Amino acid sequence: MGPLSRRDFLATAAAGAAASTLPLTGAAAATPKRGGTLTASWGGFEPQALFVPPGGGSSPYFTSTKVLERLLKLTNDLKFEPVLATEVTPAQDFRSYKIKLRENASWHDGEPFTADDVVFSALEYWKPISGGISLNALTAVEAVDPHTVVLGFNAPVPEFFLRSVLAGRSTLVIPKHIYAGKNILTHPVNNAPIGTGPFKVKEWVRGSHVEYLRNEKYWDAPLPYVDRLVIRWWRDPASRSAAFEAGQLDIATFNPIPAPDIPRLTETKKFVADTRGFSNSAWVTTVEFNMRRDVTKNRAVRQALLHAIDRQFIADTVFFGRARPSIGAIHFSNSMFFSKDVPDYPFDPKQAAKLLDAAGYPVKGGSRFTVSLVSAGWFEENVKIGQYLKQALEDVDVTVNLTIPDRATSLKRIYTDYDFDIAVSNNAGTIELLPTTTVFYTTDGIVKGAAFRNATGFSDARVDDLVAKIAVETDDKKRVALVHAFNQLVTTEAPILPIVDLEPVTIARADVRNHSITADFMGESWADVWLDR
Amino acid sequence: MTATIDFARRFARNRAALAGFALLLVVIAFAITAPWLFPRPPLRIVGRPEVWPFLSWRFPLGTDSLGRDIAAMVAHGARTTLLIGLFASLTATLIGVTIGATAAYFGGWVDEALMRFTELFQTIPNLIFVLTIVLILGQKIAYITLAVGIVTWTPIARLTRAEFLTLRDREFVQACRSMGMGDVRIMLREILPNALPPVIVLASLVVAGAILFESAVSFLGLGDPDVSSWGRLIGDGRTLIRTSWYICAVPGIAIMLTVLALNLIGDGLNDALNPKLRDR
Amino acid sequence: MVRIVARRLAQIVPLVLGVIVINFILIHLAPGSLFDVMTAEQQITSPEMLEKLRHLYGVDQPAWVQLVDYIWSVLTLDLGFSYRQNAPVLDVILQQMPATLILMLAAIAIALIVGVTAGVIAAVRVNTIWDNLISLGAVFFFAAPSFWLGIMMTVLFAVKLGWLPVGGMREIGVDENALQATFDILRHLALPATALGLFYAATYARVMRASMLEVVRLDFVRTARAKGLSRTRVVIAHVLRNALLPVVTLLGLQLGTVLGGSVVIEAVFSWPGIGSLLFDSVMSRNYPVVLGVLVLGSLVVAVANASVDLLYMRLDPRVRLR
Repeated sequence: MGPLSRRDFLATAAAGAAASTLPLTGAAAATPKRGGTLTASWGGFEPQALFVPPGGGSSPYFTSTKVLERLLKLTNDLKFEPVLATEVTPAQDFRSYKIKLRENASWHDGEPFTADDVVFSALEYWKPISGGISLNALTAVEAVDPHTVVLGFNAPVPEFFLRSVLAGRSTLVIPKHIYAGKNILTHPVNNAPIGTGPFKVKEWVRGSHVEYLRNEKYWDAPLPYVDRLVIRWWRDPASRSAAFEAGQLDIATFNPIPAPDIPRLTETKKFVADTRGFSNSAWVTTVEFNMRRDVTKNRAVRQALLHAIDRQFIADTVFFGRARPSIGAIHFSNSMFFSKDVPDYPFDPKQAAKLLDAAGYPVKGGSRFTVSLVSAGWFEENVKIGQYLKQALEDVDVTVNLTIPDRATSLKRIYTDYDFDIAVSNNAGTIELLPTTTVFYTTDGIVKGAAFRNATGFSDARVDDLVAKIAVETDDKKRVALVHAFNQLVTTEAPILPIVDLEPVTIARADVRNHSITADFMGESWADVWLDR
Repeated sequence: MTATIDFARRFARNRAALAGFALLLVVIAFAITAPWLFPRPPLRIVGRPEVWPFLSWRFPLGTDSLGRDIAAMVAHGARTTLLIGLFASLTATLIGVTIGATAAYFGGWVDEALMRFTELFQTIPNLIFVLTIVLILGQKIAYITLAVGIVTWTPIARLTRAEFLTLRDREFVQACRSMGMGDVRIMLREILPNALPPVIVLASLVVAGAILFESAVSFLGLGDPDVSSWGRLIGDGRTLIRTSWYICAVPGIAIMLTVLALNLIGDGLNDALNPKLRDR
Repeated sequence: MVRIVARRLAQIVPLVLGVIVINFILIHLAPGSLFDVMTAEQQITSPEMLEKLRHLYGVDQPAWVQLVDYIWSVLTLDLGFSYRQNAPVLDVILQQMPATLILMLAAIAIALIVGVTAGVIAAVRVNTIWDNLISLGAVFFFAAPSFWLGIMMTVLFAVKLGWLPVGGMREIGVDENALQATFDILRHLALPATALGLFYAATYARVMRASMLEVVRLDFVRTARAKGLSRTRVVIAHVLRNALLPVVTLLGLQLGTVLGGSVVIEAVFSWPGIGSLLFDSVMSRNYPVVLGVLVLGSLVVAVANASVDLLYMRLDPRVRLR
């Protein structure tokens, strides 16, 4: 066993990823088999509850979406498919939408799914709790008949945007007869949620796993194909590799195993590595500059410092090739809005030094200025990136005080106290930029104490203006143009920019079929996943 | 003077203790010479990642997942380790001796209260206590040292108390008291010097314990990111145990050898101080 | 006797109170409250919602009010509600406690069996190669960090040899009868319990050896030999029982550290016990759970210490409590 050179490794990783797409396209045509137990996991930890209404992060999102469903789902080729909604039709003025609902769906406890549930969810749950500013324009929700709902807005709403919201993270439909009149956030049913989905919760053994059984009365019967779904959690990636090899794990999403282990598993042909299925949950690592501080509020300084960062190195070394240097403010997998036609900041320490000199920060006594760098410690990679950034900035004679706090402290320092000059953080954006991406750049995105939004304090009327236009532009082509203008503007101003686009990978046994075919596979119900055994 | 020579001779007769002492000297040597042997900051990325040890002269112990020189990190880590061990045990000894001595000397409700206090600190699981203190104060080497010291003083307090109790009622102490010497003077000048030897033995073990604590804290990710630490190296190497397990193995061996050295020295000190148990 | 027992047990109450107060203060001093973590994760945006949550989590009360409230609820045997897990704290703890208890018991069992046996052998064959080997082994296992030992053992036994599983407590999604389930747990238990227990085995071995060597030279042993009893009988009947006393004391004192040690081992082996629960809760400032675990943990340790003291009194009639 000798050291694998970086190039060898990248070559085999690419080969593994490419190979993974081949058997699946063939298998899509095969007849699904019913039966079996699917054991799944993901690259993080156990959630605090199986369903966390306001969101709660990826872990409860993973567990709740097998039980609770949304109105639509988004496929890899950007098509919206019906789930609980069979039709979504905008009015002429785009200020209202008529939604026809599925008629044969029912909740796990037997009650029928009706328009009342959607009305309740929209008014009591989505708008006040989970939707954030994405549903600001929503003013009325009415059940026209037991299976039709009309949404009313106070401004025109683009169709792609609304469908994206209805297929997105924050619009799970919850049962009115269970939550009405109670506190949605603390309802004990959140530990064993009741939904319309293909799987019912059988048992949650804290610290170990959650077991789901097939919902025999699922509206899309004979789906789901598998009899039982078990989601297990491990505390470290090496254990998950071992679990795969020992046959204890069938599929795991979001970088479950250490990158060097991926080719080892895929070379046996018993496993595949798939990078599809993340485009609507596109993770990036970001660098942001505190606009309230003297040094970093200077645009020339920000641009100079961005030139001092070798993003390719980060992508190759920290992420073992499973990431790409970012271009602009949009993830490369976003086929609708991504564009290369934006200002770029190639790695050039000499250029960085020149720009810093020109900005009025020459080297005095070995240092130009001092910055506090806070790297949010919730990912192992951020620890390494923080340390690398310190070195990269020191190479252009900037003194860096590095802290890598734990999750709770990071959230407080970055999003409440705004106690940093430069921060390294992460977020996951949807294909629709509003609001998950724009909330980092708009003035109304500044909410002290709320995480994963505008913490830099950046406020530019041109950006606010553009975003407001994007929110109401119903013509798709014009919208793309507006987004492009937005992208160019924020990339130039650079208050916060992604430095690498992550390419998370799902690892699965070769006999697991129909995975990774939706744009946010982790958050789909997995009704159509089957085992070819 | 002759007592010291006697003591040294007794210590030297124990070969294991001598070996431990030699080993510790090696560690100290590394700690001192690290800035000359490895002049570049140890946390700098200097080479290709995951190079195995013994393959090249540039990186005798290989490189880690980012491409940092493990030999440099181990050598600089020796300083971190020894400094923490030393200062944490000094803190613990100061607190422990003060509390133990006060409890034993004054007896009565003072003793009762202080012993309850000691028991309290003994009951709280040490590691969690250290973690919480580090979270409050911050992840800096100084605070970690303080936290470890605050948590590990209890056995020293107990031992000091036991020693003081046996010495308190001896004749020479009563003589001092009848002479009118103040309590504190008696405690410091008369009793303490006689009670210290077993406490010193224990302190050497506390140094070892402090080193193990710090490595656990760093392993769990709460160490000081600016400082090269053996525990953190182990933590970093966890995801790579299949392909590059040396990243975990090397610093672990370093910790083990240092703690081993301290334990052997502690044993040697103990034997040298208690010659009657010597013939085993 | 009853009075002594009662008095000893009564001393536990102020101890537990002290634990609560200290940890309450510590948790509240740590930057970033539970409120911060939960609202950030859940991305609450509206100020009204933030206020509602502040009231719900009780962080709008002054700290001393929260402390008093908590102490009162503990006295009424209510450990509070964990909003993070959406369940009563006691339930959360009890669900994960068995795993840690199994781990601790197994580790202590391994430590006692391996340690005491090694110590006895070393003492009986004092100054031979066996003695030296055992002493060397003891000193190595005492010095090696337990989490590192755990990782190295995983590399050898799970990764390279494939004899044992890498982590977790059981195979999931497989129906097992009681016998299979027991065997499954034992397989998963082997590495973590050994990694945790070897450290204590080393201490017991050394203490046992020293203790036996000391007892063997005592008068009553010589009397027994003089009476003509065989060496083995002497060792077992007389020496062992007396030599075990220090080990018993040590065991009692170390119960607290075993809980702390389980935090790291549970992290290394993905063992679903309260060690990991405690670590997660400290990190997310979930003080109801942290306090709950520490209260219960200190209760267990305090009771164990008291039992050890009382047991010691029975084993060694020379000892009497003050």
